[in-house]
Order: sequence, then structure tokens, then C-alpha cells
Amino acid sequence: MIDDSRAMRRIVGTILKDFGYDVREAGDGRQALDALEEGRAEGWVPDLCCIDWNMPVMDGLQFVFAVRANPGYRQVTLMMVTTESETGQIVKALAAGAHEYLIKPFTADALRDKLALLGLLPEEVTA
Amino acid sequence: MTLSAQAGTAQPITELLDAETVQSIADEVWPSLVGDGEAFVPVPVPPPADVVSAWVDILGPWTGSVVVTCAPATAEALTESVLMMRPPSTVDAEDVADALGELANVLGGNIKSVLPGESRLGLPQVGAAPPRGRLDDVRSLVGQWRGDFLTITVQGATGAQHAERIEEKPL
Amino acid sequence: MTLTATSFDWVRQLVHRESAIVLQPGKEYLVEARLLPMAQQLGCAGVSELVESVRSRPDAAKTRRIVEALTTNETSWFRDGDPFTSFAGTVLPQLLAARRPDERLQIWSAACSSGQEAYTIAMLLADALPNAATRVSITATDLSRKMVERTRAGRFSQLEVNRGLPASMLVRHFTRAGNEWEISPALRRMVTASECNLAAPLPRLGPFDVVYLRNVLIYFDLPTKQQILTRVRQLMRPDGWLFLGAAETTLGVDDNWERVVLGRGSAYRPRKGS
Repeated sequence: MIDDSRAMRRIVGTILKDFGYDVREAGDGRQALDALEEGRAEGWVPDLCCIDWNMPVMDGLQFVFAVRANPGYRQVTLMMVTTESETGQIVKALAAGAHEYLIKPFTADALRDKLALLGLLPEEVTA
Repeated sequence: MTLSAQAGTAQPITELLDAETVQSIADEVWPSLVGDGEAFVPVPVPPPADVVSAWVDILGPWTGSVVVTCAPATAEALTESVLMMRPPSTVDAEDVADALGELANVLGGNIKSVLPGESRLGLPQVGAAPPRGRLDDVRSLVGQWRGDFLTITVQGATGAQHAERIEEKPL
Repeated sequence: MTLTATSFDWVRQLVHRESAIVLQPGKEYLVEARLLPMAQQLGCAGVSELVESVRSRPDAAKTRRIVEALTTNETSWFRDGDPFTSFAGTVLPQLLAARRPDERLQIWSAACSSGQEAYTIAMLLADALPNAATRVSITATDLSRKMVERTRAGRFSQLEVNRGLPASMLVRHFTRAGNEWEISPALRRMVTASECNLAAPLPRLGPFDVVYLRNVLIYFDLPTKQQILTRVRQLMRPDGWLFLGAAETTLGVDDNWERVVLGRGSAYRPRKGS
């Protein structure tokens, strides 16, 4: 969960943990790349990254470019979670390699629907 | 940090954004970010003695800020709701700055996307609201949340003769 | 907040009885917010007064409105997945093979609500067929005039387009209109929306190749369910397909249908000779 807002990290983290996920956080794209590297060294590779767009140091779009340029992270699903909601922005993110896009504000149900679309919803939660 | 704009180059916000649009954005933000069933109600109540604000700057063909203002106690209650916290957990100043800032961020982001042209959104800030620019460059919704005073104000930057300059403070 | 504990409790039990949905304690704000417009419209001082008036003088229409106000969520796109993926992957190819090139395929979204189902189908068709607009027509009906108008308008809020709609489809088939998203004119033209009461004799629609009758039979008693299924079957091609809600079945209701397994779900086809 990559967002400079601690509130958003906490909210999404809580929802994902309820769905059965193990969640790690980062406050910007650079921190997230570092965390990915460290995680890989210990055998922890995320199934999903939820990524805010506007963050200091390295924004979400740059993070997406960086991850998609690295063949070691090919199996990681990237989903933008952001207020940026102009068509052009969504197109840009998808073109950069993001797999999905969730617009803020969103409900827990919306996040669940996106996970189901991506085949990333643990079976027990599909009811 | 000063947010300035070239005087007289842009339309005032009142020509670009109506109150219904801001209200419809609030109608989506409150139930999802603040909590199911929660609402910002555009019915004024008397303002409190003391207020705190959170805002994000918008820089583009129109330049200004989207500001959320309420009493400090309201900000705490909002934070508890946003962070889904229950007693005995209490919120600290950092939590409040964060939750209120995110509220301003989500409102601001959605308002930005209905404005013409391409704009950039600044990072959230919390404290005393920035000064307003031209008096006709303000779109304000005065209302309440759970009976408490709360306003959502979209206000133009203070006029200046020189070009825009934005400094973003890291949170 | 005016809602009393007894009022909340009554509403809680009502909603659970009628919809199986559980309102936890702590959801008083939800009940207050969702019922206040109705209370004001009926001239009640507040939600508790509304509740007390319905308790003392039971009124089926008001009761139904209360339940709906508390159980309506934004409906989602591609709801439950299978009825749409199997439509595109299995049903559509079979229908195209079975029909003449000049025959328009007819699809019915029979409880269309705000239109997500009808436009989900339209998007799938537009992506699958180059000439979808000429090859298929989609009829969308609902009991509510307001829902029919919403379907015709094809406009959805940010919250609504977040619900299960792939982002790539959002950018390809919608344009922004203020704070909302509007379906493209080409797809909007594929859908014709009208009012229809499923529990009454049906207007002359169809004949349909595919019918979506999802999550609406639950609102009716058994005899009415049977009537509806019979009427629907009469508006279908003999080799047509019926999709019900994920937890619904014709089993025990109407045995004039054959169940076909599709993906992790199923569809129903008129039984031969029925």
C-alpha cells in the first residue's frame, strides 16, 4: 500500500487485512521500490500494489514505470488508487503498465470488486 | 509558501464551478471516506470560536485552493470516523493532520478534475487557511457534519503581478 | 439525531425480514441519513416519526420504500462475472452461428435498475463484434420510471464506475461529464429502455435470444415467480438463454427449463417441448 497519506494507508490496509492479505506500507515511490527490494531478498513479493499518484520524492506513475521495467516483478499486479480521474490520466497510467485503476473516493465494496476482477480475492471473501 | 497567480488571466471560480457540483462531490466523498451513512449537509450552523483547516492547492488555468474548515473538536471526530477508530483509541495531532488532509485531498482532486484544462494538485496542508484572493473568486459551501460547523471552500489564489510560484512542503 | 432505539430496532428487524440484510448497532446514522428524505417528503418531523407512523398504520408501499432505502447499494458492472464472461465466450458465438447474418440478436436486461447490466452487455458486444450496433439490440426494462430514465441517460457517478468496471473499459467506452461519466453515444444507442412490471402481463417484447433476470425473483412469492418465468419464456426463442442471479435457480420453481453449467455459474434454456 503506497500512499503518502497515513490515513489512506491505514484505511486500505484495514480493508485488505480483513480480506486476508498480509499488508506492507510505503509513503512514496522511492520507499516502495526499496521495500520491494528488501522484500524480495526475504522471499516476500507482493501480489498487488495499491499506488497513490501524487506523492513526494517519487510519484505513483514513476513507480509504475520502474516496476514494469524490472522483469523480476513481472507477476506483481499494479493498481492505482488516486483522485486523479481525468480520462487522460487513467490512459497514461494504463499505458505505463498499471493493471487497474480505482478512483478516490471509493468504498470497501469497490475495492473488493476490483480485486475480484483481478482474480486477487481470496475465495472466502467472494460471498 | 505562497501560492500566487497572474492577476486577471483566469476566470473566477464562480464561472467554472457551481455549488451543486461541489455538493455532489461531497455526497460521494462523505459516505466513502468518512463512513457509511455520513453526510455533509449544506445547512449553515453558527461558526465556532476556533477553527482548523486543511487544503490542497490547484495549479492550472485556474489557480487556488480547496479548503476544508471546522472546529478542532470536529476535526478530531472526523479523524476517528475516517480511521474507523473506537474507544479507547484516541487520535493525536498527526492523525488529525493526516485524515483532514486526506479529506481535502480527495475533495480537491475531484474538484480539480471538473475544472477546464490540465491542472496539478499540491500535497495536503493543515493549519490556518490560506488568505483568499479576489472576493468573486470564491465558491463556498457552508454547512455541517453531524451538526457541527464545516465549510468546503474553493478559493482563488491571492493576486500578484508575477508568474506562479509553487513551493511544495513535504508532509 | 431523532431516531429512537425502539425505532431503530423495528427498522432493523424489518430489513432483516425482508432482505436478510443485517444492520448492526452503530448503523443508526445510516438509517437516519437514508430515511430522512422520505420522512421529509411525507411531512414527518423526523425519521422516528416516520417509523412510528408506519408501525401504527402498516402500509405496504411505505414499508417497501423503507426497505429499499436501506438495502440499495450501487449496483456493480459485470456482477458475479460468469454471466458476462460466459455470454461473451460461449453464448454469443453459439448464437451468431445459429442465426442468419441479417437477424438481429435480441437481449433483455429485465430488471435493469440504473443500467449497469445493460451497458455491461453493450460493452462486451462492442468489444467482441465490429458491427455490434447493427447486429444486436438490448432492451432494458425496470419497474421504476426513475431507473428507466437513468438507464436512458447512461450517466454514472465516480462511485458507480468504481464498482467492478475494468479501467480499460471505462476509458474506452465513457467520457467525463462534469463529475460523472457518460457512456458513449454508440453504446447508448444499442440500449432501449422502458418501464415494465414483471408481475403483470408483459408487453410484446422480443423474441429474445438472451434474458438477464437477475436478483429480482427474490422479491416475489412462489406463484408469482412461476408466472414471471412462464411469461419470460414465452418471450424467448426456443434456443435462448436465461441468466438468473448467482444464488437463484429455477429448480423447485419451474421445471420447463434445462440448467446448463457455464464456467462457475449456470444458465437456463427452455426445455425442449415445453
